[in-house]
Amino acid sequence: MRIAIDHKLSVSVPQGTAQAVFHLLLTPPSGPTQTVESWSVEGPGIGNAGRFTDGFGNAAHLVNQMRPEGEITIHVRGEVTTRDSHGVLGRPAGEPVPALYRRRTELTKVPAEFYAPFRDSKESRLSICHALMERVGETLGMPPEEPEAQQMQADGGQEQAQDVTEEPRPAAADYAHLFIGAARALDIPARYVVGYRLVDGEDGLHAWAEAFDEGLGWIGFDPFMQICPTDRYVRLAIALDAETAPTLRTVPIAEVVQVVKASAASTN
Amino acid sequence: MGENTPFDEMYNADGSVREPYRALSEWLAEQPEKGLALMQADAEAIFRKLGITFAVYGSEEGTEKVIPFDVIPRIIAANEWRKLSRGIEQRVKALNAFLYDVYHRQEILKAGRIPEKLILNNAAFCPQMMGLEPARGVYAHIIGVDIVRVGPDEFYVLEDNLRTPSGVSYMLEDREAMMMLAPDLFQRSKVAPVETYPENLRRTLESVAPAGAGRNPVIAVLTPGIYNSAYFEHSFLADQMGAQLCEGQDLFVDGGKVYMRTTTGPERVDVIYRRIDDDYLDPLTFKPDSMLGVPGIFDAYRAGNVTLVNAPGTGIADDKAVYTYVPEIIEFYLGEKALLNNVPTYNCTDVEQRAWVLENIAELVVKEVHGSGGYGMMVGPTSTKAQHEEFKKKIIARPDNYIVQPTLALSTCPTHINNDVAPRHVDLRPYVLVGDEVRITPGGLTRVALEKGSLVVNSSQGGGTKDTWVLED
Repeated sequence: MRIAIDHKLSVSVPQGTAQAVFHLLLTPPSGPTQTVESWSVEGPGIGNAGRFTDGFGNAAHLVNQMRPEGEITIHVRGEVTTRDSHGVLGRPAGEPVPALYRRRTELTKVPAEFYAPFRDSKESRLSICHALMERVGETLGMPPEEPEAQQMQADGGQEQAQDVTEEPRPAAADYAHLFIGAARALDIPARYVVGYRLVDGEDGLHAWAEAFDEGLGWIGFDPFMQICPTDRYVRLAIALDAETAPTLRTVPIAEVVQVVKASAASTN
Repeated sequence: MGENTPFDEMYNADGSVREPYRALSEWLAEQPEKGLALMQADAEAIFRKLGITFAVYGSEEGTEKVIPFDVIPRIIAANEWRKLSRGIEQRVKALNAFLYDVYHRQEILKAGRIPEKLILNNAAFCPQMMGLEPARGVYAHIIGVDIVRVGPDEFYVLEDNLRTPSGVSYMLEDREAMMMLAPDLFQRSKVAPVETYPENLRRTLESVAPAGAGRNPVIAVLTPGIYNSAYFEHSFLADQMGAQLCEGQDLFVDGGKVYMRTTTGPERVDVIYRRIDDDYLDPLTFKPDSMLGVPGIFDAYRAGNVTLVNAPGTGIADDKAVYTYVPEIIEFYLGEKALLNNVPTYNCTDVEQRAWVLENIAELVVKEVHGSGGYGMMVGPTSTKAQHEEFKKKIIARPDNYIVQPTLALSTCPTHINNDVAPRHVDLRPYVLVGDEVRITPGGLTRVALEKGSLVVNSSQGGGTKDTWVLED
């Protein structure tokens, strides 16, 4: 399907900043599950940006602005055609060796009792990952059980989704980190994906995980939604964890507010 | 391995003088009474005038000290040096090949020659370096290999120092001082020059400039600033090779390129010899609260617009835990046997080895895996029982944080002590430059433990330096 993305980032740079320097991971790759049809990143200094590929294979921008005043807005827009592959991404070219994603990081530390049940599992890696995804959901909270059809409805569905008075669930990033940490502890390369999800009435910025299988290559797992990514997902960037895959990193450190509107584009 | 008498570099066991030291021995015999003491006083005046000082962390009295200089040079014969430098060249080539591999396809890990976790989970491994193509494939351009000698033909490498090794300014100043103090001694021997180092450093840096740089690449030396213990060296090297000395605030990125602020406006910088540690180099990529670095400099490096020397992430190749695999690394990439010895190293995470280490601690050297400068180490034979117990506890608490090695009987050299000449233990740090070719300055920095019997040569722990002579045929 074709998905239109409208992603606004507002950065409040402290007053008196001599120079603001931004590191942007805001350019999605074309690959087996998606083709970027059009894409633009607009903001002060973009025309003059340094462009490069980072250590994880992401397309990155280095943007600087002298004496910035007030709020800086970066506006990202584009359309991406997606394909449902049951989460299978395979082995895209230009990526570092999968083993890199066995590295443990602060954010992906997981208590041993969490993954212990899988340690001696004779199941296939794929089955283990599915079971892990479920266990993450059981631990952090399952998504509200609503008929998928209702969510698919146009804007009307959202009030209904809100009336369950529960503790808010942890962020999607926490689900991803728990999954990734457990997979790595089981010697399965796993990485963090930041991207967009087409979902009516909710912000479209999302995070999930990918695990590596020798046979199939990289496979997406979204423990927050308890599914493998579908054609409603757009991959934006990958890295070890949320810390290494921010859509925007700034010096000086500044507050960044992001609003993403993902919508189904009219296919022509 | 030399448990008995340490190797004396000047005298044979029968008391006769070893060939390389013959001229020196005659010269020493000719010195008038108090001659060496006078020379020592002159040396101190020279060094104070040159302003060569270093900071000792944690010392109460004033922060700046003059490093003690011993007026008797250390001498290495031409054939000894040939052997040593071949071994060093082999090592730095293999270590650069290793760095290329771990930041690309990781064949050595796939082959199981080094445990994958030791590399990938290592704090010194820099994932942001993956896939980067450094100019000429070189990661570690400036290296100071720590070597000790235990016999006529037996050298051991203690550490490879592939991050930002310091001390080369002492090598140069020691030579300059020695030539002023004893010009006559130089006339009696053919000593290989070390003065070519700054020029070779410049050539090396120019040879790794990014493709877009002009015929005369602009080079900057990036220092953490005047409070760094090696600030003198940073300014000295910049001065010697005609490069600009910069602090973080003097550099900035614009349009993905690096510029320095000058009185005539911004000037593009092509190569940065940075003496700031990886963690502090760029707050945008590494420690976000670093005030020392340049925001965006790493991204500019990845974009191929500037060369960082040494590359970030070289620490994975001189990590103390990786050190034990260097002979393996040499075999894997070069298909050769290591020419220089590695010191056998005990792994305290192994239950059997740890038990043995704890039992024999009084004979062993214990080092922190991430320590340097002689801080956080213990030399068993010269430590007290209380210190032994303290380090035993430390090892039991964090076995992965320590490596343990046998105490090496470091060779001794004649050293001026209280107007007399006495043997003292020495080590050697030759300086290596890797760019379009491998350039090794003949000699290096000899550090000497001035206390009788002491094996700790670090200047922060009361060690001194000597001019180091490599004789030419």
